Amino acid sequence: MPRSRELLAIPVRRSTWQRFVYLGIGVALVAPFGTLAGFVAPVLEGALDESAAWTVASVLCFGPLAMATGMLASVRDLEIAAVRRLLGVELADAAALDAQISWSTRWRSAAWFVAHLVAGGVIGALTLVLPPAAVSACLAPFASGDVQLGQLDATVPGGPASAWLVPLALLSPLALIYLAAAASALLARIAPRLLGPSPAERLAASQRHATRLAERNRLARELHDSVGHALSIVTVQAGAAGRVLDHDPVFVREALTNIETSARSGLRDLDHVLGLLRDDAQSCAPTPTLTDLPRLVDSTRSAGIDVTTELTGRIDEVPQAVSREAYRIVQESLTNAARHAGRAPVSLSLNVGADELELELTNPLGEPRPRRAGGGRGLSGIQERVTGLRGQVSAGPDAGVWRVSVRLPLHPTP
Amino acid sequence: MSLGVLLVDDEPLIRSGLRAIINAEPDLAVIGEADDGAAVTPLVRRLRPDVVLMDVRMPVVDGIEATRRLLANVDDPPRVLVLTTFENDDYVFDALRAGAAGFLLKRARPDEVVRAIRILAAGDSLLFPAAIRELAARHAPAGAHGDGLRGAGLTDREAEVLRLIAEGLSNAEIAARLVVSLETVKTHVAHVLTKLDARDRTQAVIRAYQTGFIAPG
Repeated sequence: MPRSRELLAIPVRRSTWQRFVYLGIGVALVAPFGTLAGFVAPVLEGALDESAAWTVASVLCFGPLAMATGMLASVRDLEIAAVRRLLGVELADAAALDAQISWSTRWRSAAWFVAHLVAGGVIGALTLVLPPAAVSACLAPFASGDVQLGQLDATVPGGPASAWLVPLALLSPLALIYLAAAASALLARIAPRLLGPSPAERLAASQRHATRLAERNRLARELHDSVGHALSIVTVQAGAAGRVLDHDPVFVREALTNIETSARSGLRDLDHVLGLLRDDAQSCAPTPTLTDLPRLVDSTRSAGIDVTTELTGRIDEVPQAVSREAYRIVQESLTNAARHAGRAPVSLSLNVGADELELELTNPLGEPRPRRAGGGRGLSGIQERVTGLRGQVSAGPDAGVWRVSVRLPLHPTP
Repeated sequence: MSLGVLLVDDEPLIRSGLRAIINAEPDLAVIGEADDGAAVTPLVRRLRPDVVLMDVRMPVVDGIEATRRLLANVDDPPRVLVLTTFENDDYVFDALRAGAAGFLLKRARPDEVVRAIRILAAGDSLLFPAAIRELAARHAPAGAHGDGLRGAGLTDREAEVLRLIAEGLSNAEIAARLVVSLETVKTHVAHVLTKLDARDRTQAVIRAYQTGFIAPG
């Protein structure tokens, strides 16, 4: 029967041991709270008897304190990562990274944290206590007089009468493994409820998803319409030109011009929409800012382009919105330089002043620049971003180099 | 005497291309142009074209509404050939239901364009039967079943003729298939159109699909 075979396979399954490790982390997490309880209990012993003092100390330390710890966002993130990796539970992604965690989510994380501590603590304690007790039990039939079971507060009489303990002792590690497997299976079952996104977060996430899909659909439709329109003109004009080729050269000449213009405008629309879609795809990752500039420069260098940079001012203090756009402008400028000047060296200077960010990118003018109609997505993309931030941009040949200069106000007034 | 064509499209380059293609044919002539559906009815009254090539999407009055107005307001109206950029455009079916006699993709080859105009003007066979079948299949009302045309009172022979019309057969082909004279077929077709209250073969076929008389597919 497959069911019983599955049960038999538990001790040799990799997942069982990974889950054991997760419980082991729980043991490690118990330690600080246990230590704290060890400090608190003697203080309380003045007012209460010993066992009551320990009970109160444990409840205080493992109750409110552990729960407060479990509410921390970083602890929640760690638990989610550990649960995914070690318990093997698929957890849906919660809110966007920068979103605030709601209180209900914090309470659920706290409950999870405490459950982790309790399960880990119990299994951990048994793991420490059982093996020495089992060894003592195996030796008991050969001993004379009472035998203490490891560190347990229990004794068994020595001699052959205790032989029945031996098989029990030998089976106890196996029992522990099954117990741990059961405990972690229980944890795995409740994990989605406590660590997964709340209904409100799910709703928000699916709304974001729907908005993005709607936007993409709209873009796709626009692209379909505009490129379809352009290609229809191309087809009709080309077909007509073919028909009148022999007796109306004037029409043919005009048709060729029309075909060229329409095809170009279709390509421009393609460029534009694909650019928007690409930006959208990247928006799932955190948007890079000027602080990510070194990485961008490195990757450009690894593409074989020599980039010299001169960065002055407090780049990390540039407002996020400006910083993001400035990063994109640098990125697009580098792409343009690579496209037009090949592997010619590029120098980039960026200066953050009191009210303004100045950005300048130059590369030597090589061959006469091929005229790309409409500037593709390159220059027009930069222009759009600069205009959006009420900045200024100039681009063109200047003293033997191609120079792109951008000035962005750091605090654009609406 | 050549067939007169009216071009209606808001894109001047589509019009100039189609004009060159049509005017290159000895038996066809573009006799007027308009860049919006609003101008169609008065122009038709004045120029009396045989066929109107009508774009679907236009800024003020679209091709569907222009077709509807034209057929409602002009006696003995011309055939309307709807122009579309995309095959799977839902508007095309709306235009056919509004009374257009056929549709044509703007990317059609020049010889397909002129053939479509001639077929429509002659009116004795269906333009692109396969495409119409596909459109009808996509727009077939749920739950339509075979007896949808019972009220029309078609004879068995007329029902058979309707099926052959939907397959795209011309009158001559139907005559050959049923081994009857061309005149007999013409009479059957005329009866079918009258009983279905259909303007032309396209409308009759659309009706047949819509009522489930012919199962799409």
